[in-house]
Amino acid sequence: MTDTTTIATPSIGLTLRSLLRADATVIARSRQTLILNLAVPILILVITDRAAARPGGNALGGQASGVMIALALAYGLLSSSLLGYSITVARDREAGVFQRLRVTPTPTWAIMLSRLLVQFAAAIVTSIIVIVVGGIMHHVSYGAGSYVLIFLVALYGAAMFLGIGQAIVGLIRSTTAVNAVGRVLYIVLLLLGILGISGALGDTFTNVSKWTPVGALITLFAAVQNTGAWSSDDTWSTVAIGAYLVVFSVIGIRWFQWESN
Amino acid sequence: MSTPTDRPQPMLAVEGLVVKYGARTAVDGVGFAIGRGEIVGLLGPNGAGKTTTLSVIEGLRAPHAGTVTVDGVDALRHPIDARARMGVQLQSSGFQPELSIEQLLRLYAGLYGVRMSHREALDALNDTGLERESGKRLKNLSGGQQQRFSLLIASIHNPLLLLLDEPTSGLDPQSRRSLWQRIENSRRGGGSILLTTHSMEEAQAVCDRIVIIDHGKLVATGSPAELIATHRDDPRVLALAHGEPTLEDVFIALTGSDLRD
Repeated sequence: MTDTTTIATPSIGLTLRSLLRADATVIARSRQTLILNLAVPILILVITDRAAARPGGNALGGQASGVMIALALAYGLLSSSLLGYSITVARDREAGVFQRLRVTPTPTWAIMLSRLLVQFAAAIVTSIIVIVVGGIMHHVSYGAGSYVLIFLVALYGAAMFLGIGQAIVGLIRSTTAVNAVGRVLYIVLLLLGILGISGALGDTFTNVSKWTPVGALITLFAAVQNTGAWSSDDTWSTVAIGAYLVVFSVIGIRWFQWESN
Repeated sequence: MSTPTDRPQPMLAVEGLVVKYGARTAVDGVGFAIGRGEIVGLLGPNGAGKTTTLSVIEGLRAPHAGTVTVDGVDALRHPIDARARMGVQLQSSGFQPELSIEQLLRLYAGLYGVRMSHREALDALNDTGLERESGKRLKNLSGGQQQRFSLLIASIHNPLLLLLDEPTSGLDPQSRRSLWQRIENSRRGGGSILLTTHSMEEAQAVCDRIVIIDHGKLVATGSPAELIATHRDDPRVLALAHGEPTLEDVFIALTGSDLRD
């Protein structure tokens, strides 16, 4: 008879390494995700660079470059962390990938942690590219401290968008519906941010939009590029992002369904 | 579960399993055991509760009542420890479509606690006749190759218990025979096997013992020869048999000839 004590549960280190390697390969091979992550922010940088180059085009004043880089960063994170994450999780759930992983001796938290860590890594890569391209196009350079702060805010923002993505994929089982809701939310947040910054729809709209997830993140990104002018709005933006992160993550984790039917 | 000391502990013991989907009871008090080195077929018409029973054993679904013990480990209280003792082949593949089969093999080996180098992965694929396909994605393999690969993943850690959900569904006769041989090899290696199938030919050829369930309840259990001998004089079997009664005659007599969805 087999001695039950001879069967060891796999070490969590080996489990996580295996998952991380696979998840990183999956995200690197997903061309659509890579394009989504970078296309919109780079496009924003190109358009704003050309607009600023026109006579009288720098309508936002001296901090316009910082705000535009912040806008591009926010949308890069929005693409990868909210849209990319929720659609990938929904697709894998429907295809039975989670079911296949869950019949192995792998804790469910390890399956999710690996995915989140890879998404954070993608967010950092996105941030580096956007900051470098934005800095070149808008002729902005930062000190080492600012870079660190920008990356910390990037991780904070990525966490918030991952939380929102988790809530979407947690509350909605259908992959098609997750895809549709994610894209609609993406467009709504995109427009709220752009229209809010432009001030085209008046002060009330601008005041409301700056407390949306994208608005708060743009405020915080702009703030850490110029910490000397830190205001109470910047503090409240930090609090707002934290609140979005906690509320949506709790909803997404509490009601997450591992199976699509 | 109490085990008499003069009897070997079963590799899998299922007792009083009850699973409900809303008002419908999908599994209603099913219980059976599998000895070490035994191959048991779980048979039943569509919707009989086979896959639900398997999903409880695999830890994917919590039952409303009952116990599941794998190699003496309570699978409901210690699912990770129980899954470390099991290998599972699901009906649908559920593998990440972006990964090659070598990458999938190394991922799942890691999840089962088996460190596998590139060379070792190729050797394992070679044993399954898949070395030349190592760089391909699963969708680019034939049905037989996919099933062989799926069985390889399920048995990569030499599990004490293999759970196979319709392992030869959709395969040509050559591939089916080849898979039967691999199942038999797993048993010779000391493993116990629980498989579901709709093929009476397969059940008769591969299984030491059959468990028939219908409408979520245990209908009959015994070796194929015992089941035929026990029910050969049943008027329902006699009405169905063309000559000597077969396992299929017994199966249809016990579960009815109504079509199931």
